[in-house]
Amino acid sequence: MSNSFVELHARQRAEALLDAGSTRELIGPFDNMISPHLEPQGIVPEADDGIVVMKGTMAGKNAVVIAIEGSFQGGGIGEVSGAKIVAALEHVLADNKAGKTVYPIIILDTGGVRLQEANYGLLSISEIQNMIIALKKYVPVIGLVPGRVGSFGGMSITNALLSYVIGTDKARIGLNGPEVIEQEAGVKEWDSSDKNLIWNTLGTKQRQATGIIDEVVDDDVAAFKQAITSAINEKKDSQRDQRGDFYLSLLDQLDPSQPLDIAGYDKLFKQVTVKEHHLAPAVAGTEAGTKSRGRNWFEILTGIKNAQSEVPTVLHAQKDGREYIAIVPDEHNRFPRVQHGEVGLQEGYTVASVVNDLIAADKDKPATQKTPIVIVVDVPSQAYGYKEELIGIHMSLAAAASAYARARQAGHKVVAFIPGDAVSGGFLAQGLQSNRLVALDDLDITIQAMSKASSARITQRTIAELEEATKHVPAMAYDIENYQKLGSLYRLIEGVKGYDHDARAVGTVEAALDDAFASLDDAPTDLSFRYTNDIAVNGADGGRKATNQVRALMDQQWNA
Amino acid sequence: MEKLHFKYQATQPIDHPVHIGVVASGDLEVIMKPTDKTESELNIVTGSDGFKEVWQNVLTRFFARYPLLADFEINDFGATPGVVNLRLTQAMEALKDEQ
Amino acid sequence: MSEERNWATHREAKARKLAAISSLLDGKIAQTKDAKTLLEGLIAPGDKVVLEGDNQKQASFLSKTLAAVDPEKINNLHMIMSSISRPEHLDIFEDGIASKMDFSFAGPQSTRVSQMIADGTLKVGDIHTYLELYARLYVDLIPNVVLVAADKVDHEGNLYTGNNTEETPVIVEAAAFHDGIVIVQANEIVDKVPRVDIPSDWVDVVIPADEPYQLEPLFTRDPQNINELQILMGMMAIRGIYEKHNVQSVNHGVGFNTAAIELLLPTYGEQLGLKGKIVPNWEVNPTPTLIPAIESGWVKSIHSFGGEVGMEKYIAARPDVFFVGPDGSMRSNRAFGQMAGQYALDMFVGSTLQIDQYGNSSTVTNGRLSGFGGAPNMGSNPTGRRHSTPAWQSLRPDNDPLGKGQKLVVQMVETFGSNKRPVFVDSLDAVKVREEAKLANVPIMIYSEDTTHIVTEEGIAYLYKTDSMAERQAAIEAIAGVTPVGLRSNPDTVKDLRARGIVAFPEDIGVNRNQATRSLLAAQNMEDLVKWSKGLYNPPAKFRSWS
Repeated sequence: MSNSFVELHARQRAEALLDAGSTRELIGPFDNMISPHLEPQGIVPEADDGIVVMKGTMAGKNAVVIAIEGSFQGGGIGEVSGAKIVAALEHVLADNKAGKTVYPIIILDTGGVRLQEANYGLLSISEIQNMIIALKKYVPVIGLVPGRVGSFGGMSITNALLSYVIGTDKARIGLNGPEVIEQEAGVKEWDSSDKNLIWNTLGTKQRQATGIIDEVVDDDVAAFKQAITSAINEKKDSQRDQRGDFYLSLLDQLDPSQPLDIAGYDKLFKQVTVKEHHLAPAVAGTEAGTKSRGRNWFEILTGIKNAQSEVPTVLHAQKDGREYIAIVPDEHNRFPRVQHGEVGLQEGYTVASVVNDLIAADKDKPATQKTPIVIVVDVPSQAYGYKEELIGIHMSLAAAASAYARARQAGHKVVAFIPGDAVSGGFLAQGLQSNRLVALDDLDITIQAMSKASSARITQRTIAELEEATKHVPAMAYDIENYQKLGSLYRLIEGVKGYDHDARAVGTVEAALDDAFASLDDAPTDLSFRYTNDIAVNGADGGRKATNQVRALMDQQWNA
Repeated sequence: MEKLHFKYQATQPIDHPVHIGVVASGDLEVIMKPTDKTESELNIVTGSDGFKEVWQNVLTRFFARYPLLADFEINDFGATPGVVNLRLTQAMEALKDEQ
Repeated sequence: MSEERNWATHREAKARKLAAISSLLDGKIAQTKDAKTLLEGLIAPGDKVVLEGDNQKQASFLSKTLAAVDPEKINNLHMIMSSISRPEHLDIFEDGIASKMDFSFAGPQSTRVSQMIADGTLKVGDIHTYLELYARLYVDLIPNVVLVAADKVDHEGNLYTGNNTEETPVIVEAAAFHDGIVIVQANEIVDKVPRVDIPSDWVDVVIPADEPYQLEPLFTRDPQNINELQILMGMMAIRGIYEKHNVQSVNHGVGFNTAAIELLLPTYGEQLGLKGKIVPNWEVNPTPTLIPAIESGWVKSIHSFGGEVGMEKYIAARPDVFFVGPDGSMRSNRAFGQMAGQYALDMFVGSTLQIDQYGNSSTVTNGRLSGFGGAPNMGSNPTGRRHSTPAWQSLRPDNDPLGKGQKLVVQMVETFGSNKRPVFVDSLDAVKVREEAKLANVPIMIYSEDTTHIVTEEGIAYLYKTDSMAERQAAIEAIAGVTPVGLRSNPDTVKDLRARGIVAFPEDIGVNRNQATRSLLAAQNMEDLVKWSKGLYNPPAKFRSWS
């Protein structure tokens, strides 16, 4: 039959796309750059850590293919694999900035974060997203989702940020896999054994019809090449991260208390009347909102008592020239899956609209005068639900991540303040695109890629085995003190807890935020702080040593 | 997971590295690198514990047939001896094709 | 003059039982809710009861109902079942409803069967081949009651069993003509059946089931999961056996090895110029992996033991190939299929879990008494066969003027199973299982003397050519890889065996290992099969892997 692209492994896929004889692999299997985190957990590593970076030409044009190997650990992104992608994209960006056009092509075949390297995976994915957003100003960043793993988890958010995405009918795209939704929300929300429902919902046929993927081609190497070439030549960019008004209008017209099937959604999708959405700042109210650490600190830092907003789960306001943005729980929210503060469809798009409005308002100001942003992070997770996946919650989270990243890249100083939980896709949308992370030293904070129950199910371990692993691998841990060992935090604020509101606590936090903003004067607008600080470089408990090794090796090999 | 180490006398040095395979379920990757030593050294990481003797039997047969002198790194995710033998042979043939 | 003997006691007993429950029937049709009462009225303690169930189709409503009857009323039944598949098939022994079992196959329940035999909860009559079991229904296991399943039944009681007719006719006939009681569960009661598979006057009671009978797509293999070693072995088999022996008719056992062969015929077979020359005639279930070979003109006829879920429309559209009734649906027949396999085929190709140093094979491994179903019929040489074919003749010994040909019986195995346990062993686990379960015979699936070829990833052993057990063992050792058996192999002996054509390695028969890639498969996934079938094949949802 045809010359299948799906059948190929990552390296073969890269070779198949690039012109014969033009290829050169960077940080390949002979460079011994394997993950240091797998063997200590009894997991067999792969010499390339599941990522193939290959330079070459495509139809004569300079190109770099970054291919994820879906059959190694489900294509999960860990520290080394993530750093390979980031370092490669960074060089592509530098080349393009220097006037040498190089086209990046990313082959996604991934479940998202590699759960055995949890927090490293989340950090890496946010850094990949940052690079893609920066690159799109110069060249289209083409994504391929050939299948069979498809594109899930944090990498589905990445997927939504790509300029143009091409797949086959053997791919699926979604934020949360059906197994995770079943685990988190029950079998009634989604029966993960129902393969027809899975494919009808997440398969590319449905995804193309509703704007989540741009093109579906036959499973054939030549078909992929042709689609990529025309996407490059025509500079295709579907601007998937800028569709907030459409989706917020769609959500206005949706009754989330009623079941929504595929036909019903398709009908709704076609009937949407698009209206602009702008969220007014929060105002003081008479009744207390649903209690949360995020609300506590938003109200303290903005001075707004019982803050209320037109979108009850998204609070924003300016105080002393800083913009504060929080996602908060709302126990009576019309979307049941966000009642505990999860980031859902409406939250991601609304946060994006707030940040986009700010970018537009400050558009003509010099970088030093752009409004600084404080992201108040208290997100127990993203919303786990069938409707959320059908509509494409990953696109909503991508809209928020994109907005924060574009604000930062434009010169807004962005500091994430973490008084509450910072979990998974919720954290990717609301926090991880900041250039400084500042957290309370509060062991009630959960900071992770997935709940223990789901993580155990997906990695086929018991919760006891998982907890054992968290003791030895800081990136697997669920607490903020282990998180600091990775070097990701600018500052861990001691002596203040999530629900504190006394003057001393407030003063301490305000001073820490002032310090974080001060450190951003003349600082890079990227995310490099996280792997260049002292703990990251020299930390005894891991830091980002492997990241830095990868980066050094990529520097050496890029123009070799 | 278990780490295994073997050495074999070998006579045919390789002059450039070779990589074959993927650490997928039931599969493995084999890396061969040129060496200055007089015997081939194999470092194996395998996901299936307790098969040292089977590995030794597969490797003894392989080196009896193809005495390749190289440093071997093998990452194995539960491949059967038949698959191990296939990948070793493919790596050998990849060397031959390129020469 | 002595008193005249009553020659119709069975008939009278049957009439009495039916009369007692007649108020629950409308003609022959009962109501679902009365099922338990009906069984309690129609089955007597100690009866021989056939419960229909093979490895695909199960009279699941009747088996659930039987498990729910009052053991005070019904006990000590002697069950006769070709397959022990469902939990309640064994629950009835724990509850005392049944005490003795004659069967053929116990795949899904094999571990529990072993335990229950050891505990004495279940007494085994014998473990049969399918044909043996069916044959005994007419000799010394004549049933008092049979419980069977039908797709559609009309108001008269005519049965439509359609694609999945399987063993229903052979079971029903044994009861219907010896005053046994025939009880049928129906998926659906209809005004008119598409065709009559079993006439109503063979049927006593029809009970509409609460849900359709259980039906498993047991023979479907997703091409996605075929690996390179299976492709290599398939290439060797086509080259070194199908072509070499000019095989015209074949049965494929279920598995990925044979699925690989089916998908290599339109590609590799075509390259070898074998189309139109080999395997036009098949006795096999309608496996979807045959679709590319059928569509590209390799296959003239297929008769089937049973149906295969999702293949119904495709089969209906290919009546030149399949056995399709005037109504447009296939009729399968397990008994005739086994008969064809025994007497009409050139070759059987199957797989197993263990082969001993002499070439005996078994799927019974420690703690699992699985039984074998059809393989021992298909995988044996019927010595009474008279008609000859080129393949059969090609196994005739040269040195015996009265010598006759032989059926080709081929075992294809990787030297180690996916659990990394050696397939080639000195002694079969079955020997131990026989002792533990106190069986009369070692549960061997295919005997060494019937096995003519073994194919592994290492090569082919042409066992029929060996002239002593020692030579047979040496040939097996030569292809047994690094299993304990294979490690005994001696290089000089192997050289000699290869020179004499008793053993062939891939290079000896022109098979190129590097060609053994998945791209050689005519279909690489289920969607490809659907495309080959022009959309007529409708795979069960569990095989869905595309949108």
